[in-house]
Amino acid sequence: MTERRAFDVIGKNEMKVDGVGLVAGRPKFVDDLKLPGTLAVKILGSPHAHARIVSIDTSRAEALPGVVAVLTHKNTPGTRHTTAGQGYPEPSPYDARMFDTKVRFVGDRVAAVAAETEAIGEEALKQIRVEYEELPAVLSMDEARADGAPIIHDEKDATGIYDASRNIVADVDIDVGDVSKGFEESDVVVETECETQYAQHTPIETHLVLAYLDSDERIVLRTSTQVPFHVRRIVAYTLGIPVHRIRVIKPRVGGGFGTKQEVLLEDIPALVTLRTGRPALLHLTRAEEFTSARTRHPMRVRVKLGAMNDGSLHAIEMEGTSNTGAYGAHGLTVLANTGSKTLPLYNKAPNAHFFGQAVYTNLAVPGAYRGYGATQGYFPLETAMDELAERLGMDPIELRRKNHIRLGETSPIFEKLGEGREGVSQIVKSCELAKCIDLGAERIGWAEKRGKRIRNGSWVHGVGMSIMMQGSGIPEIDMAAATIKMNEDGSFNLLVGATDIGTGSDTILAQMAAEVLGVPLVKIVVTSSDTDMTPFDVGAYASSTTYVSGNAVVKAAKNVRGQIAAVAAELLGCEVGQVELRNEQAVGPSGSVTLERVCRRAMYEAGQFQIAATESFVPHESPPPFLANFAEVAVDETTGQIKVLHYVAAVDCGVAIHPKQAEGQVEGSIVNGLGYALHEEMIISSRGRVRNPSLFDYKIPGALDIPKIDVILVDSYEPTGPMGAKSVGEIGINGPIPTLANAIYDAVGIRLHETPFTAERVLSAMKAH
Amino acid sequence: MALTHVRSVARPSTLGEAWNEKAARGEAARFFGGGIDVVLFTPPTVHTLIDLAGLDLRGVSQAGGGLEIGALTTMSDALHSPAVEAFANGFLCQVLRRVASPLQRNLGTLGGTIASAHPWSDVIPALLALDAELRIFSGESRSIRLEEFLADRAACCEAIIEAILLPMGAGERIATYQSFTRTAFDISLLNVACSAHVDQGVWRDVRVVVGGRPGLAARQTSVEVRLEGAKPADLDLAAVARDASEQVDVRDDIRASAAYRRTLVDTLLLRCLKVLGGGGNSE
Amino acid sequence: MTITLTINGIEKKIGIAPGATLLEVLRHEGYVGVKSGCGSGDCGACAVLLNGRAVNSCLTLAVRADGASITTVEGLADGRNLHPMQKAFLDTGAVQCGYCTPGMLMSALDLLSRIPNPSDEEIREAISGNLCRCTGYVKQVEAIRAGAKAMRSERHD
Repeated sequence: MTERRAFDVIGKNEMKVDGVGLVAGRPKFVDDLKLPGTLAVKILGSPHAHARIVSIDTSRAEALPGVVAVLTHKNTPGTRHTTAGQGYPEPSPYDARMFDTKVRFVGDRVAAVAAETEAIGEEALKQIRVEYEELPAVLSMDEARADGAPIIHDEKDATGIYDASRNIVADVDIDVGDVSKGFEESDVVVETECETQYAQHTPIETHLVLAYLDSDERIVLRTSTQVPFHVRRIVAYTLGIPVHRIRVIKPRVGGGFGTKQEVLLEDIPALVTLRTGRPALLHLTRAEEFTSARTRHPMRVRVKLGAMNDGSLHAIEMEGTSNTGAYGAHGLTVLANTGSKTLPLYNKAPNAHFFGQAVYTNLAVPGAYRGYGATQGYFPLETAMDELAERLGMDPIELRRKNHIRLGETSPIFEKLGEGREGVSQIVKSCELAKCIDLGAERIGWAEKRGKRIRNGSWVHGVGMSIMMQGSGIPEIDMAAATIKMNEDGSFNLLVGATDIGTGSDTILAQMAAEVLGVPLVKIVVTSSDTDMTPFDVGAYASSTTYVSGNAVVKAAKNVRGQIAAVAAELLGCEVGQVELRNEQAVGPSGSVTLERVCRRAMYEAGQFQIAATESFVPHESPPPFLANFAEVAVDETTGQIKVLHYVAAVDCGVAIHPKQAEGQVEGSIVNGLGYALHEEMIISSRGRVRNPSLFDYKIPGALDIPKIDVILVDSYEPTGPMGAKSVGEIGINGPIPTLANAIYDAVGIRLHETPFTAERVLSAMKAH
Repeated sequence: MALTHVRSVARPSTLGEAWNEKAARGEAARFFGGGIDVVLFTPPTVHTLIDLAGLDLRGVSQAGGGLEIGALTTMSDALHSPAVEAFANGFLCQVLRRVASPLQRNLGTLGGTIASAHPWSDVIPALLALDAELRIFSGESRSIRLEEFLADRAACCEAIIEAILLPMGAGERIATYQSFTRTAFDISLLNVACSAHVDQGVWRDVRVVVGGRPGLAARQTSVEVRLEGAKPADLDLAAVARDASEQVDVRDDIRASAAYRRTLVDTLLLRCLKVLGGGGNSE
Repeated sequence: MTITLTINGIEKKIGIAPGATLLEVLRHEGYVGVKSGCGSGDCGACAVLLNGRAVNSCLTLAVRADGASITTVEGLADGRNLHPMQKAFLDTGAVQCGYCTPGMLMSALDLLSRIPNPSDEEIREAISGNLCRCTGYVKQVEAIRAGAKAMRSERHD
């Protein structure tokens, strides 16, 4: 890959390529394209957590003036598929039907209506007569696995479920060495179990899709998605239409965070459009976004650590039980990730065991959510490490220093545990975690504040820390491609499948191309995420875009650079190998030509050809970014309220292609994580209904809730990464829960095992102490 | 989303006209000022909205040492009014700053917030603590204590609120407010407003109001009785707060349990009492 | 019924359903920079200036705005020249997905029309009704501080 040197475009805070349009409010989002005659599509959601649809009478709805189509299980394809936006063959069960004869959670699809207006659509939903046979519902993981529990997926044609008869979607069990023996050999053993809650991504733009027929009668899906190519494939499969008749376009997306790594809605408006010929818009309300989109996987994770008196970890056991809701999308992979992105951090323990199950319940459906299982796993792991430190009489930082993975090292977990299947062996080729810890500890004032319990009225202060890693893409499975073609003014079109969901990937990929081609950023024109126009990319997930899509872009740019050099060499009368590109020129040993000149020659003058290349990249490793988090909290002993005063995140993401965007990713994921740690909780009734499906009742952090946040981008270089980059999209969200838990312990001596750390919970724990 | 069942908007220019519009339609009509509660909570049986903006009900004036705030004054305008800031040591501003968000405060009116009488209201407990009055119109103008207005919702929800009246005496109270929310932009899951006249070191005409219970704000009269005529220094304020928390009517809801709300009454009331006694911080 | 709105300086007579919200009317009139995020006034993405004050347009009855002057994000730039606050958001890296940005700009400009040199606390309070899930608000507060400074300099030029 590129050797480390001073960059011209990389590492600069260039203006985002889509920035001007965004601040000017230009029409850039799905809903900003208004097509005449667009039908409003509304979904009828199940009122029951578990029921069979005995009969469904849509005649009254169909008779309403302004109703154009009504869809139910009776008139739609019955193809079982997964909605999970993953590479084929998807490691998620094919347990979903467009409309089923059974409903499995409150808000599950029963029917859909397409009408002239939303108001008519809503009235039509009320006119659909459904007779349900209510079935006993399963509302917890333990109930789900108990003997005699109702079977949620009893359909004959589902595939990929580990054991449907016991509601088990997935079962994972990998080990290294012998943990039982390991614990016996250990001087100290610590065990903890933590539970995390139902939370939702709450992107400010809810899920929505506009389907229409283009002038050649091909179906176009303009959708707010993280996975345009998976959408195309899965919709084609679900509806039984060929891939070549579908085009998926992702315009600007108003936030994803994983909930849009899902083929959640597209099949419905697609089918409406195919049947009526008219454009169809399906736009979830905020309430539907809570009940019927995707959520975080609630999990119960137990960690047991065995260590020697000198602090070296000897055995690690992690058991995860994951509530995957009514459908199995991402159930296996999130569970596997809980172990695969946590255990390698402490690679030197010779004995390790990760096992667990993902379980169906009749509840809202979890899916991909930033962190993807690692977030849930770091809670018990990093709090157990603190407990271990206390038992050993060691500073928690020293215990981490002693055990964390280092440059040049590997972990047997890399090979044993990937995304649902076996993983890929790898060696860590960049790791500045030690520096992250040093800088973070200094910035928070660790030595001055730890163990001091400084008081301020009824508030007691404490500091806590945690460390973590994540990954950069899925090795041997993800694939990204990039096409670059040259224009006669020395500019280039960069066509990438890579999916910018606000992350700034259009910009940073353009920066990479600009760097290789020796041009300013403005000379790279980006088109992304259009399945007709751009080559394949798995999409925005697994922190893959910078590393995987970036490497594809660099490859394509180098290829194009070579073509330019060949033409320039002819013009300059030198060897191809002697030509370098910089400052929009092709420079030889004794002269230079402008890129404009080169392109005109190739386009019009001699041996004409289009200077262009398409290159693909499959990663063979997933170089982890690293993060050290430090927080100072104050706990109000009279109310249990937690105030986070200062949060420091020192991160090694390799080279930061765009430092401000990298900081922004960490800042945003920290604040999201703080909400997850302190306030956010979907509250479920005894009948499986979400009781707080609104931003009025489900509170996410606002501008008055944020602490002082310091993000330190630690200088680092990943040799396998494009320009030395790794990734940074997810890792930040894993920090707040364990860091705050550890800080709360420092302040008031209580260990919390259940999120969110609401004031009420904290006060109860303090009183019980 | 549009209120599709609304078919017409009446725009009267006098109180009498507005009243007649409502009388003609009964339950099928609804008054609006800022309109927030209309957009959020109007049932489909309402077909006509009656716009009160044409009536001259906006603005803050000082009348006889007291304060009169027109019902259609937005919460922002009240918050930024020098007259409101000067009244009762800026107590109302302290409270208004906590209400919803600046975006909602720029639109929502004081009259609207009283008329909707949400259990989580911050404004109502604050006004009850000041023993506020309202001037209302139900055929003719009259004034009524806010407390009575809220108690007699059936009769009074037909009335048009013209103004909030705070007599001069109210401005001489020591008043303080404490509320507990999860995030900053959240409704109170419990709030406490307290005020008293301090007369030669003795508390007089004490008001203790607890809101967000999740029931509508209510005076805690047994606590008031205990504090009435007392010297703060002679009281075990912690015991008073604790006893109050045991007596208050609180419930469970999605935000908090009744038990936790009780704890908050104890803590927040104690903070209020310390401020009234001159000893605590007002935040 | 018909109402009159002056939107970004242009007076328009618009036929509306009586119960329509200002958000629906504005988007229908083509001002798609005004975003819909929740419909309940809890996210602030729909914020516009109504007679200079930032309000949730999803909570504002269109008829409430009759006769008023409305500013949407589309009205901030001077021709092709971005408003200093828009430039500040871009330069500071405060725009990620951009969905909350128009609403944020409105709240910022309302604040600055009353307090030209706000403290960080005043800035945070001004945008407390604008939810963002991407940025964590850090760079947005910086951007508003920088935009305020640029606007003060412009006034002195």
